[in-house]
Amino acid sequence: MKLLALSAIPILLIAADVTTQRLATSQDDPASWLMYGKNYGAWRFSSLKQMDTGNIARLTPQWIFQAAGAAPIEATPLVFDGLMFFTGSANHAYALDLATGKALWHYGRPVPKGVQGCCGSVNRGFAALGGKLFKVNFEAKLVALDSKNGEPLWETTVDDFNAGFSTTAAPLVVKNQVIVGIAGAEFGTRGFIDSYDADTGKRLWRFHTVPAPGEPGGDTWTNDAWKRGGGSTWITGSYDPELNLIYWGTGNPGPDMNGDVRPGDNLYTCSMVALDADTGQLKWHYQFTPHDVHDWDATEDPVLVDLTIGGKKVKALIQANRNGFAYALDRTNGKVLIAKPYTKVTWTSGMDKTGRPVIVPGQEPSEQGTVSCPGLGGGHNWQPTSYSPLTGLFYFGTTDGCQIYYKTGQQYVKGLWYQLSTTEPVPKSTGAGSVIAIDPSTGETKWRFETVGTPSGGMLTTAGGLLFTGDRHGFFIAFDARTGKPLWKFQAGGPIVGGPVSYSFQGKQYVAVAAGSSVIAFAIPAK
Amino acid sequence: MMHTGCTVLLGFLLASAANAENPLQNDPHAADVGRGVFRIYCSPCHGIRGQGARGPDLTQAISGSGKSDDDLFRIVSEGSPGTEMPGFTGPLDEENRWRTVSYLRSIAGQRPAPLAGNPAAGRDLYWGKAGCAACHRINSKGGRQGPDLSRIGSARSASYLRESVLTPSADITPGYNAIVVVQKDGKKITGVERGYDNFTAQLMDSKEEFHSFDKAAVASMKLESRSLMPDTYGKLLSASELDNLLAYLSSLGRPEAGK
Repeated sequence: MKLLALSAIPILLIAADVTTQRLATSQDDPASWLMYGKNYGAWRFSSLKQMDTGNIARLTPQWIFQAAGAAPIEATPLVFDGLMFFTGSANHAYALDLATGKALWHYGRPVPKGVQGCCGSVNRGFAALGGKLFKVNFEAKLVALDSKNGEPLWETTVDDFNAGFSTTAAPLVVKNQVIVGIAGAEFGTRGFIDSYDADTGKRLWRFHTVPAPGEPGGDTWTNDAWKRGGGSTWITGSYDPELNLIYWGTGNPGPDMNGDVRPGDNLYTCSMVALDADTGQLKWHYQFTPHDVHDWDATEDPVLVDLTIGGKKVKALIQANRNGFAYALDRTNGKVLIAKPYTKVTWTSGMDKTGRPVIVPGQEPSEQGTVSCPGLGGGHNWQPTSYSPLTGLFYFGTTDGCQIYYKTGQQYVKGLWYQLSTTEPVPKSTGAGSVIAIDPSTGETKWRFETVGTPSGGMLTTAGGLLFTGDRHGFFIAFDARTGKPLWKFQAGGPIVGGPVSYSFQGKQYVAVAAGSSVIAFAIPAK
Repeated sequence: MMHTGCTVLLGFLLASAANAENPLQNDPHAADVGRGVFRIYCSPCHGIRGQGARGPDLTQAISGSGKSDDDLFRIVSEGSPGTEMPGFTGPLDEENRWRTVSYLRSIAGQRPAPLAGNPAAGRDLYWGKAGCAACHRINSKGGRQGPDLSRIGSARSASYLRESVLTPSADITPGYNAIVVVQKDGKKITGVERGYDNFTAQLMDSKEEFHSFDKAAVASMKLESRSLMPDTYGKLLSASELDNLLAYLSSLGRPEAGK
């Protein structure tokens, strides 16, 4: 790739391809942001430290790109070789010049009539390998684009949108595979995780998150409920190259609110699954919420960190689960090491010796309505989390509160809503939330910044001791990552939903984030 | 778009379209699935069973209103101008909007009994003794501290309006909570919210003047889930006066109000 960068003397940038080696060592390449979670462990930690707690007050917008018709932007942009690549909603995508924020190419495809999704035609970003960018389109398609010009190189159908499938997650590149998750558990679908050949788009393997009768776990379903069993995989997973395991969180069973039609634990919904990266074979699973009836997907970022727990070093997987608990699992075998609530929880009295939650009776949805905590969106929803090796803390936004859960009956009709009810706010309650930092080796909350309404943005930490996030009111905020003190803020003019990124360009550190339908790049100006 | 040289035929077609029936009326699953759609998209305002909350009681408001399926479809699709009812063309495709209409038909019961009060007497109360106009506007007359009531009769059920008059804080229209700011010199300023976030607050005081505050520059600021409307109307008004006032409020924005 060649790009003439703006400066007094035009500079010819000669780009190197994004190789598998570059992806494996992406944490050592702070100038770039090569994958959804920054590294395979999904840390979202930048080693750049030009910006720090002492100078962050001078952070200033450098350019704003308005992506008309692409709101809300939920994507985490990729940055490499002088360009920023990001996706908007409704099948839009752009490549921006890092020097000016000008679009060098735009990709767009109309969303076909009849595609359904729970939450709009959102998209959470690209994956990259070689000269290709990979993204999903809303209509359950995977496309490979030429990163030079945005031209489609191949396109493959992941599944049938008429049956209720859709795709929104950023793919994950592992070796020469493009790993893709699916959405659609509100429409009576059966979820999966797919692998596609990066060169051709041919499907290499599929792991069904809901087993068929006769398969391991198939006995956790009754009758033919498994065919509509849900278990979407709508947030990008992580990867441990040493163990050669892909980790991916799975969503709610279907139908969401009425478990009467699906007695049993309903594996592998609301679970973490560890898959052999070459074959897609299940190596282990842990189900956070057996027989979920509150829509508490376990799709939140699976973050891979090595911790010392009880004096013992462990390869851990940490997650802020929607069910209100922060977990640390042993990522070699799925055993629960830490499970501690970070918000009010009423559905369980805690974990038994095996790590299975002990259910509190009477918390399930009812025709009359049942107050249960957390609410439908969970204690933490999908928004990206961050782990800082500098502070040793794990950062995420929380929604603190309860909701009234209702259930109803409904016959399944292919491709139609099959949620079987919903929730209402508890009267007189107001939306409350916080940005929190927890010690992942104990689950203890180290600091909490209470917010007006629930948090909306993803997290980014940096070696300058900073935590960046945004809120639904449009503020982009920098905190002292150790203390939770806000050090800087900027009113960006639109809700901040996706994950911020940091990169360097021509020797200067930048941080960029999407707000509403815009992408904004910030830097500290020279004195 | 159909093109035809026959004006009579075109007129017939347009008339047929205006009175279109629900294309899913013979679909046995339409109301069932529509209930699921209703619970997700409509229940936040109309209640989980359509019996009304901030939005009207649809089990009563539809029957006898003379609204055709096409009318209901248009309201679901495009919203109801002048009320908080939004259109759902974006989130719901055409079939799901028709299924919602099917569900609405399935729960529509009897038309509500006429209210006991006298709207003309209620009008006098509103603009006189009750003092409502100090804070509420009707057709561009009155104050701005409370919600505009020009079409409130078509947007709220009578029972909701009764609760709002007697217990104003029971359910507050979004954007009308109270904000209380205490400045560093101890001065306290209370007003209706115009903005409230993690770092700033904007409010309108009782003189309809705007104030903007930076959280770091004040001693405290708080959004309170309460209405600034007095909660004394149960004592100020007799039972019959209250009925009259509610009859007037319920008439606002309704086509029959002028009859």
